[in-house]
Amino acid sequence: MASLAGSSISMQPRQTLATSRVSGLKLVSFVNRGRSSLSFRLRPDRLRISCAAKPETVDKVCEIVRKQLALPSDKAVTGESKFAELGADSLDTVEIVMGLEEEFGITVEEDNAQSISTVHDAAELIDKLCGEKSA
Amino acid sequence: MGASKGQKLSGMQRQVLSLYRGFLRAARLKPTEDRRQIESIVSAEFRRNSKQVDRKNFLYIEYLLRRGKKQLDQLKSPDTIGLSSCNVSSSKKKC
Repeated sequence: MASLAGSSISMQPRQTLATSRVSGLKLVSFVNRGRSSLSFRLRPDRLRISCAAKPETVDKVCEIVRKQLALPSDKAVTGESKFAELGADSLDTVEIVMGLEEEFGITVEEDNAQSISTVHDAAELIDKLCGEKSA
Repeated sequence: MGASKGQKLSGMQRQVLSLYRGFLRAARLKPTEDRRQIESIVSAEFRRNSKQVDRKNFLYIEYLLRRGKKQLDQLKSPDTIGLSSCNVSSSKKKC
């Protein structure tokens, strides 16, 4: 009797384990379908960044920002770098945007220029404007 | 005007930045050598005022904005190529 009860109890957790595993698989496959195969839920920001702007645009923006702010070569400039964190004031940011306009042959509207605060913001906007220009 | 990007800028700060952008755009239309000179003078002037002028001194900032807009109009004229630097530095010398 006792052994029977024991076996019936051990069945229940196995069942719940199995269902939870199935639902886990479902979640993963759903995420895979919605986004690219790189679905790391820990860093949603990085995923967005790697998908939105072209890497060559980001590199070019980094280069121009480095030149404009006269940053030393050992200072890291990446897509997530904020202009303010790199030591740029609002006047520097205006200069950076003007430099980008010339480099890429685009015109950034004043409203858009105010909202740029990271390298990635700039690269995203440039890709958008370049796309509009070629279309 | 030490506000960094990301912070919300006041209307006046936006006007100053817009004026600065206007100067840099006008400078683009000048020959390269004049352009460099204009850019360095304009940049120095804005930075000097951003440090020296009290950010609460709205009347004075408004005056500077008005004066800057007039100077920008002069700079935009194709006739002012050599005069442009004198225009901007006039704020120091009162010429």
